[in-house]
Amino acid sequence: MTFRQPIALAHLDGTQRRSMSTIVEVHGLCKSYGDVKAVSNISFGVMKGEVFGMLGPNGAGKTTTMEIVEGLRIADSGNVRVLGLDIKRNSRQIKGRIGVQLQTTALYPYLTVSEVLDLFGSFFPKALAVDQLLGLVKLEDSRRKLCLHLSGGQQQRLSVALALVNDPEILFLDEPTAGLDPQARHSIWEVVEFARQRDKTVFLTTHYMEEAERLCDRVAIIDYGQIIATDRPQELVTQNFREEAIEFDLAHRIEKEELTGLTGATNVVMENGKVTVYSTLVPATISALLELAKKRDIQLTDLRVHRATLEDVFLKLTGRRIRD
Amino acid sequence: MKSLLKLLVAHIKQFSRQRAALFWTIAFPIFFILLFGAVFGRIDTASFNVGVVDQDGSPVAAGMVAALESVEAFKVKIGDSGGELDALNKGDRSAVVVIPPGFGQTISQGSRDNVTVYYDVTQSTSQQVVLPIILQVVDGFDRAMAGAPTLIGVDAQSIQARHLRAIDYLVPGILAMALMQLGIFAAAPLVVDRQNRVLKRLGATPLRRSALVISTVIFRLLIAVGQAALIIAIARLVFHVPMLGNWFSLVGVILLGTLTFLALGFLMSAFAKTEETVMPMLMVVQFPMMFLSGIFFPVDMMPDFMRPILNAMPLTYLGDSLRQIMVGASALHPHYVNLAVLGGWFLACLLGAVRFFRWE
Repeated sequence: MTFRQPIALAHLDGTQRRSMSTIVEVHGLCKSYGDVKAVSNISFGVMKGEVFGMLGPNGAGKTTTMEIVEGLRIADSGNVRVLGLDIKRNSRQIKGRIGVQLQTTALYPYLTVSEVLDLFGSFFPKALAVDQLLGLVKLEDSRRKLCLHLSGGQQQRLSVALALVNDPEILFLDEPTAGLDPQARHSIWEVVEFARQRDKTVFLTTHYMEEAERLCDRVAIIDYGQIIATDRPQELVTQNFREEAIEFDLAHRIEKEELTGLTGATNVVMENGKVTVYSTLVPATISALLELAKKRDIQLTDLRVHRATLEDVFLKLTGRRIRD
Repeated sequence: MKSLLKLLVAHIKQFSRQRAALFWTIAFPIFFILLFGAVFGRIDTASFNVGVVDQDGSPVAAGMVAALESVEAFKVKIGDSGGELDALNKGDRSAVVVIPPGFGQTISQGSRDNVTVYYDVTQSTSQQVVLPIILQVVDGFDRAMAGAPTLIGVDAQSIQARHLRAIDYLVPGILAMALMQLGIFAAAPLVVDRQNRVLKRLGATPLRRSALVISTVIFRLLIAVGQAALIIAIARLVFHVPMLGNWFSLVGVILLGTLTFLALGFLMSAFAKTEETVMPMLMVVQFPMMFLSGIFFPVDMMPDFMRPILNAMPLTYLGDSLRQIMVGASALHPHYVNLAVLGGWFLACLLGAVRFFRWE
């Protein structure tokens, strides 16, 4: 796995890094809706040319954060600079240079796919050709279809194509693959790869671990409106785990202490009958576990072992799983 | 500018691809005119049935009958008093003229005698049209009998122009209704676009909001002018509804009226969150106006306590204004009052919309 230049730049000293490559800068961002704190005191940076992911469960504040950065919402406090410009003062200028895909945008039902792309293109000083955009999201065959007749996956791809219409310097994708079938998901991932190849910056939110691991150069894990960790996905895993994860479903009650006492077990997380035991000595832990199960006449179902993933990182840091 | 044009084209394409929208803006008003025209138009245009009861039978009376028969717009039916009054009651006669016994003799002696005219007060055409013609006929006959030379003729055209058939009254009303609907129904797509986050998505581009508003307004004004042209053309070709006034002032009033109701539509869209709430809201605003503002029947038919409501409604003034310009109907309000009230409504709604409208 190779990381590209902007990541390498992270090793330079702070000031230089900021002036050279930070394309989105967020400092002390706060936003409340009534009594609910959606985002509390978030700071992070996105570097030019990277794919930056914000990972967290629904309602964690991902969308709010992203929409403030896009200039669609006003923060209660904090500073946001995009492309070196202040979002409060230069919102329109910034909007011309970024591409935005929103969650659940129903489009003009009585315009065709080509017509919508052409219409949106006219909003920007420069725009990619409609044919190229259709090719990027594989909608060539649906160009004459009314948006009304598009499937969910096609609508989502059109929505991504609209975000690409002005050949943006930063591409914002908010849950781009939520609810999509694997095929449609892959075509969206290809768009992200395309943007990466063209040295574009991509800022996406997701609650799919696999997506974050596969697409993102760096991931910020967000929960309850706060960022709890930011790093490269592999770094996040190795920083948090030397161990591997043993997972199984448990029909009976068992005390957590009994599992913590297993040979080699370092940590145990139990949630809704699903148990994850982290271990540095997997074979020994498993045999101890099986022995315990036999002795107590407990059924273990769906037993599996895997290397730690971002899911495990999230679980370790928050005590919860990310769920739809 | 480029995006404004594209947005306008997009509006037109979306509009022309929706059968329901096409129906409501084009077919519905035409249907209304044809329906009302079929009900009221034919009776009026053909002729009026006037019953004549000659209880005298003298040559003088016969001359009177002949004079009435000579009126082109009258179909004179001669019968007995009971039968004719019965027919009047059933609505088969617009008026019944009764020549009393001894009429000829009295007149011949140079004395005065009266014919009696029965008419139905609930039939406005009888009062407005038939009665004046009968009076004129009687008057003319009177002079002839007296041997006075007819020095002053009456131009028959002027009588035609002054009287108002039901269809003449209705067509400007239908036009006003169509413009009102076109205007306030602009609220619906706006609310839907906000609900579906189309407005939000547009807000993520450098597109100026003014371009969005202006394109909607231009689009609606274009439809208004097209719709008006269609309504006027049909009214003219099928029912011979005249267009007496100035075309420029007509277009001006059409534009002002549409703008006023557009502003009202925008204002309403500020208070509805979903498509399900905006539709009943539009109905609540639309129906009282349709039936109380005198676009379908004259306001003097309404009870007095409703006058304040009537006088508050912008549609009253638009209908009155269009009626004055198109068919020369007598004014409810002077023209400048109509324009001032419409303008006032426009400004008030506009300010309200600017104040309360939310893009998200």
